[in-house]
Amino acid sequence: MIAEAERGPAAGLYLHIPFCETRCPYCDFAIHLGDDQLHRPYVEAVVRELDFLAASGRPPGGLQTLYLGGGTPGLLAPPLLEQLLRAANRSFGLADGAEITLEANPAGLSAARARGWIELGFNRVSLGVQSLDDQALRWLGRNHDGATAEAAIGALVQAGLENFSCDLIYAVPGQSTERFAAGLSRVLSLGPSHLSCYELTVEPGTPLARSVAAGRSRSPSEIDFAEQHRVARELAGEAGLVQYEVSNFARPGRESRHNLGYWQGGHYLGAGCGAHGHLGVGAARRLAIEAEPSAVGVRYWNLRGATTYLRQVAARGDGRRGHESIAPEQAEMERVACGLRLRAGVDLRDPAQLAGARRLGQLGLLTVAGNRVAATSRGVEVLDRITLELVSSSRSPVLA
Amino acid sequence: MASQATARIRNFSIIAHIDHGKSTLADRLLELTGTVSARDLTEQMLDTMDLERERGITIKAQAVRMSYQARDGQNYEFNLIDTPGHVDFAYEVSRALAACEGALLVVDASQGIEAQTLANVYKALELGLEIVPVVNKIDLPQAEPELVREEIARVIGIPAERSILASARTGEGVDLILEAVVNGLPPPQGDSEAPLKALIFDCKYDAYRGVVVYVRVKDGRLRSGTQIRMMASQGTFTVDEVGIFRPAMVAVEELTAGEVGYLIASIRNVRDSKVGDTITELSRPASEPLPGYRQVSPMVWAGLFPVDGDDYQGLKEALDRLQLNDAALTFEAESSVALGFGFRCGFLGLLHMEIVQERLEREFQLNLITTAPSVAYRVALRSGAELEIDNPDQLPEVGLIETIEEPRVKLEIVVPREHLGGIMELCQERRGEFVQLEYQPPGERALLTYDLPLGEIIHDFYDQLKSRSRGYASMDYQLTGYRAEQLVKLDVLVAGNRVDALSVIVHRQQASGQGRKLVQRLREVIPRQLFEVAIQAAVGGKVIARETVPALRKDVLAKCYGGDITRKRKLLEKQREGKQRMKRVGSVEIPQEAFMAVLSLDR
Repeated sequence: MIAEAERGPAAGLYLHIPFCETRCPYCDFAIHLGDDQLHRPYVEAVVRELDFLAASGRPPGGLQTLYLGGGTPGLLAPPLLEQLLRAANRSFGLADGAEITLEANPAGLSAARARGWIELGFNRVSLGVQSLDDQALRWLGRNHDGATAEAAIGALVQAGLENFSCDLIYAVPGQSTERFAAGLSRVLSLGPSHLSCYELTVEPGTPLARSVAAGRSRSPSEIDFAEQHRVARELAGEAGLVQYEVSNFARPGRESRHNLGYWQGGHYLGAGCGAHGHLGVGAARRLAIEAEPSAVGVRYWNLRGATTYLRQVAARGDGRRGHESIAPEQAEMERVACGLRLRAGVDLRDPAQLAGARRLGQLGLLTVAGNRVAATSRGVEVLDRITLELVSSSRSPVLA
Repeated sequence: MASQATARIRNFSIIAHIDHGKSTLADRLLELTGTVSARDLTEQMLDTMDLERERGITIKAQAVRMSYQARDGQNYEFNLIDTPGHVDFAYEVSRALAACEGALLVVDASQGIEAQTLANVYKALELGLEIVPVVNKIDLPQAEPELVREEIARVIGIPAERSILASARTGEGVDLILEAVVNGLPPPQGDSEAPLKALIFDCKYDAYRGVVVYVRVKDGRLRSGTQIRMMASQGTFTVDEVGIFRPAMVAVEELTAGEVGYLIASIRNVRDSKVGDTITELSRPASEPLPGYRQVSPMVWAGLFPVDGDDYQGLKEALDRLQLNDAALTFEAESSVALGFGFRCGFLGLLHMEIVQERLEREFQLNLITTAPSVAYRVALRSGAELEIDNPDQLPEVGLIETIEEPRVKLEIVVPREHLGGIMELCQERRGEFVQLEYQPPGERALLTYDLPLGEIIHDFYDQLKSRSRGYASMDYQLTGYRAEQLVKLDVLVAGNRVDALSVIVHRQQASGQGRKLVQRLREVIPRQLFEVAIQAAVGGKVIARETVPALRKDVLAKCYGGDITRKRKLLEKQREGKQRMKRVGSVEIPQEAFMAVLSLDR
């Protein structure tokens, strides 16, 4: 199965649309502020890059998942979105029943707009709610209030979209666990099929990081994280959404297939500034990316700046900035690290790791059934440490 | 009466507090005597090791010969001997001073005389050296040269007008210093025709030439071909070369009475050339050696372990290399359950230990864990056997022990009267027994003598002494003997496992207090783990203090990585590397600093 995946073309495609109306101080994604004039040339560049990437090969049956993320892809005018979908289809084909996701923000979202997206072929929307609490939203520097976010969810429902996800941020300084819980309950009552709960992370280089360093912003506390993470799991569970990954919850069958691909080691193409791709060595070679002889895969990443990306695509067709060969042991490390984040867990192959997992099982942190290892609800809270112990099991005292 | 030949020799050293300008003055003397041209003068010529320049201390003695044409029209030969400047090296200082007839006392015109300086002045006076005070840095706006002159007069008894006012930085007054060396310091005594007596005041190992011995010839002559004998260590050698420092080594035909220089004699080991030993001629030996020789032996021991077990061989080779040049350093292999294979090393004191550790890390790129230093205890067993242990972990079971004796020292402290109370309190806290108190006439200084366990002064005593006297107290100590005490071994258990490298020997009465502080400190430095970790202090299997490191509450990043798995993997790879630097005991990872925790106990 792996051998085939190594040779075969990727069945997932990510398109990065960097445009945003405002900069959120915590965000470290590649974004580009309020420059509507750039929308069309940018989309044309992505289309050109898709033509370039087509050389990697068409997956049999077409793309299984297509994800437009950002930035705020929902800001693009419908004709531009259509142009992107057509280009993806032209280069790779879209499978029947493919999951086609659009990320959008609450500001300006109406039922009519959502209906337009459905007509274009999008069948899933990921909505950047972040919070319903006005105070928290202000702290996060969002350009919408709680009422707007609620209305936006209503618009999706009204448009007849059943498969949509809400993004929420927790551990916002100053927000009590009670207020977070109240907001989350309200969101869940509006019926999303999927929920992503991310903790507020202070990423280096962001305005938030500078603000924390200067003492203007409080840094979130460990207690808030643990408590609010637990609350998220409990409330989502009560609403029938299962935690299938550390920060993702879904009604069974409504997991994000595209994101699951990331965690399960799947291959995907990325286009647009700041996008990442993961390819088999064969597909990579067809794009003239030469891997080390021992590599089992290649990861690549595009230029982050929208304008430098545009220039490079115009000059040579692709937006790639760099790549790395994935050695077998690195692939194994990724497989274990990503797999453990999933509710389903991962099969461990290394006897030392498996023995270690049993030990951690005795501490109530993991369940072990045969070779299959998965984190318990307590284990999820310290999963990064567990992963570190397992991937360094030869030197790990806990596992000795 | 100095002979014709020695009348124009002046051997002297410079006594100064850190930062009072010793090195700058030395540089200026080298320049003005044309020994080193201004162009070749690297900043602070005499401190050759990076470590010395950085810390502002001299670790190895240095010597340099200068020629000076005085105002009387005569040419003089100056030998400047630079001395190490810390209590750990007190003996080496005394031998370097013993090679001189005089000393320049350099005092900062804005700071006044400092205590540590005073201790060396007294040492110099005891050895009969003539002192020429120099009030330096008079160009500074806050300089109070007259006040400092008066202070020198009051404290040391040298009339104020004899202190030279100078600025080594601008060069002002340096000519007066040169003249004062000629006129204020005596020439050496000695008889070149008498049987050879030469004092070894330092030595260094040179990769190409073997051991270079720094000597001061007191009587007789040294030349290539001379068959010599070391009177204390008994070794015999044939001299290959003698020479002087200009400051590079320059061979000369012979060194005669009164002269300072070096000799090379196919000596392979610095241990065969002991500081303070007397060199004589095999065929015509001196009847008795020069006074003051002392066997230098380690006072404190600590384990040095490579963080990465693969560096063991590298550590051994590095210690071998350092030992070539450091006769006071001893080491032997040891192994620890917690730390793996390493070396038990003996040092003169804590500074010596820090220097060795720092050089190993810096010059040999080793990453080390050092255990808490210990003194050597004498243990008498019920069986009648006796043993000496310098590693607390080696202490036999309580039931087998008859007595444990600990080394004691005579500790002398010079302290201004107003800080006397605090210093006496410190000595009492460290189980000191008062011996005597004298006031140094005519000054305000007290000379305090205590009899106290060596083990009590090796950790932070010196720092405490300095902080409780606002830097004004200085100390010197000498081993006096051993005494049986109620000593016990304090063990530390982490998650139920005894950590051998954390054991310490303490007095029974201090055990519970020390134990409590130790576990508290360890709780702070041991990071949270996936489970709760108990840290206990125990004496003879009985737990006397306990702290708990709670389990890690949250360690997971719930964030959106998008497709950027590379970043996640790289973070994990980096963490895995960091993990390899931790030491483990049972199932618990212990960071390096935990093994030094006992050192930072605030008593």
